[in-house]
Amino acid sequence: MNTGQIISGAGHLALIGWALIGGVFRSDPLPFEVTEVTAISTEEYAALLARDSAPEAVASVDTPEPPAPGDLAPDLSSAADAPPEVTQPEANDSPPPDAVPDVSQMTPPDPAEVTDAPPVLEVPQEDMAAMVPEVSPRPNPRPAPRVAPEAVAPPEPDVRIDDVANPEVAPDQGAEVVEEPAEATAPEEAATEIVTEAEKLEQAAPSVSMRPKARPARATEAAQEAPKPAPEPSRQKPATDKSAVNDALAAALGGAQQNNDRPSGPPLTSGEKDALRLAVQQCWNVGSLSSDALRTTVVVAVSMGEDGKPNNGSIRMLSASGGGDTAAKQAFEAARRAIIRCGARGFDLPVEKYDSWRDIEMTFNPEKMRIK
Amino acid sequence: MMRMLATLLMALSLWALPAVAQSNGPLRIEITEGVIEPLPYAVPDFVSDNSAGADFGRRIARVIASDLSGTGLFREIPNEAHISQITSFESPVQYADWKAINAQALITGAVSVDNAGKLVVRFRIYDVFSGQELGSGLQFVGTQEGWRRMAHKVADQVYTRITGEGGYFDSRVVFVGESGPKDKRAKRLAIMDYDGANVSYLTDSSSIVLAPRFSPTGDRVLYTSYETGFPRIYVLDVASVGRRALETQPGTMSFAPRFGPDGRTVVYSLTQNGNSDIFRMDINSGASARLTDAPSIETAPSFSPDGSQIVFESDRSGTPQLYVMSANGGEARRISFGQGRYGTPVWSPRGDLIAFTKQSKGRFHIGVMRTDGSEERLLTASFLDEGPTWAPNGRVIMFTRETQGPQGQASLYSVDITGRNLKQVQTSTGASDPSWSPLQN
Repeated sequence: MNTGQIISGAGHLALIGWALIGGVFRSDPLPFEVTEVTAISTEEYAALLARDSAPEAVASVDTPEPPAPGDLAPDLSSAADAPPEVTQPEANDSPPPDAVPDVSQMTPPDPAEVTDAPPVLEVPQEDMAAMVPEVSPRPNPRPAPRVAPEAVAPPEPDVRIDDVANPEVAPDQGAEVVEEPAEATAPEEAATEIVTEAEKLEQAAPSVSMRPKARPARATEAAQEAPKPAPEPSRQKPATDKSAVNDALAAALGGAQQNNDRPSGPPLTSGEKDALRLAVQQCWNVGSLSSDALRTTVVVAVSMGEDGKPNNGSIRMLSASGGGDTAAKQAFEAARRAIIRCGARGFDLPVEKYDSWRDIEMTFNPEKMRIK
Repeated sequence: MMRMLATLLMALSLWALPAVAQSNGPLRIEITEGVIEPLPYAVPDFVSDNSAGADFGRRIARVIASDLSGTGLFREIPNEAHISQITSFESPVQYADWKAINAQALITGAVSVDNAGKLVVRFRIYDVFSGQELGSGLQFVGTQEGWRRMAHKVADQVYTRITGEGGYFDSRVVFVGESGPKDKRAKRLAIMDYDGANVSYLTDSSSIVLAPRFSPTGDRVLYTSYETGFPRIYVLDVASVGRRALETQPGTMSFAPRFGPDGRTVVYSLTQNGNSDIFRMDINSGASARLTDAPSIETAPSFSPDGSQIVFESDRSGTPQLYVMSANGGEARRISFGQGRYGTPVWSPRGDLIAFTKQSKGRFHIGVMRTDGSEERLLTASFLDEGPTWAPNGRVIMFTRETQGPQGQASLYSVDITGRNLKQVQTSTGASDPSWSPLQN
């Protein structure tokens, strides 16, 4: 066997092993010393120099004299303590039995006079009751005609309803760049849950006002003297923007793979995936689905163009679970409408990662949407 | 040694390959939250194939729109906003024009009157955003007087094809029409379309009538009348308005009748010697059987849609609560445990829910719960809500709401089982005790 080949093989194996699991052995960066330096002004430096010189060290210190060898050792003997005297208690005679009470002479107590009239209850003072504010146990859910994952406040009356919020653009006569005038748009009002009539509180405001608080007592001297705890200087944590790090990593890794002639890249970051998810769910309207269809989870496959627009003809159902064929069909149609409607303007996806989102499988799970 | 190394290297490369391949697989995301909002649709006036049908085109489209928008699940995009006009039933649809106004469903149709004077209605439904027709086109033929029913049938088809569940528009409601002041109120049986149109009366107002209930086929109605001074159960044929009293033992009071799903069995309450219990009777033979035997009050029985169980109201625990027992009687299981009093339970036609009236803290509610009593949900709240009845598809509930005071008026309301879309059903007089028919044939 050729020794050179063995060495070469072992070397390669070690190299591959290191490449695969090298991360495990990578040590932490070497610790480095940090010396705190305080910047001071010239005056402060001069003041430091002008300070009195350090007190002289004491040259001689009296030391106690060692005991002379002839001294007697202290007498450590001691007499044993006398045992404490314990006196035994004298045994008492058994107590005489109690005399049997003479019940023949007893007379039962007179029965208490009971009247049918109920006791008059004192009505509590009104201002006492007013101490307790009548506050609704939880915030009154705001009814809205639309239910969405995130509540949306009612838009301004003259604003057009659209999926995205855009400010109004009016032509400015003095401007050099003429902007195209555009209507203001805002998303439609929405609440996060369905509010039934039975749940609507008739009046959310407290019906009784709170009693005004008593005037505060004079502060005691002790309280005045109590030093205020100095506020702790807030430590600023270096802000770690996860997505920024991910982006940087993605960019670095992506750069290494740019050799291919077609755009390819790393998988989407979780932020990019979330953005896509949010974009689709805005258009996923389950309001008109049957309760059977609302029990059906469908997996839908779609091919995407590089412009971020779905290829409508490619939308197909891969699988359905939880309901019958009809329910699966309705659930798929609602999912298809969501992809087509919200994808009509193109989803916001990074082109450099086109390879990772060329084909998308979306699972539409309506479990959370059943009764909301 | 070399071979071992080579094998090891190959194994390593094989192990590493799927990892590389996996990154090129489809991107997978899961969507768990959507929105709940009415689906926008457009229904342009139906085109008329001949002059005789011209009048019906617009009226039929309006009834369809009223049906769909009335569910709260759909929102009509008004005709004024339409970009392209439908001039021919056969010409291709300009999807882009309908997409531009965000119409997600489009209903087009044509109306004509044939040589025999029959009204012919054809229609198609389109899924605008996927650019496809939903199902295939359909045609209905009927009398000209029945044009509203034909519109309801079209709306039922649209509803079914989009939501996946049965419609309820081509159905009727029997109820007690009320007129006059509260202390001297005249009551008579009335029947109408589900939306309040086409009201007609089945009895005169000479005696008090209560609690009409449709048969499973919608051809007969059971009701309680005080004609003889005592409550007694009658069965009425809707088409001929002929009626007969059910045989009961003399000296008893019978009330709260309801048909079983076979259309032959009737369950009802019977009071004898001051005690009310539940009985069942074969309506043809008149043979009756006792289902409960308790010193408490048992009333308001309602069959499950498969006919195997009965839900009813009883105060055997001290307050009125809901119980479920076998259709042949026997041990009953209590299902309501919330605060307050429960009554008038009705089993949903889908079998999954039970609707009820609940009185709690001085207010009345209509609510629904699962058949084991779980997931109780109150849908309404008012001074007096009672007597729920289910739409044929088990998605909507109609009930009576009465306002407070001597001038208080009873009227009919409907609400979706989610608690949304609460609205009054328009009736010309006061109305109470509704019972919803099945879908008509």
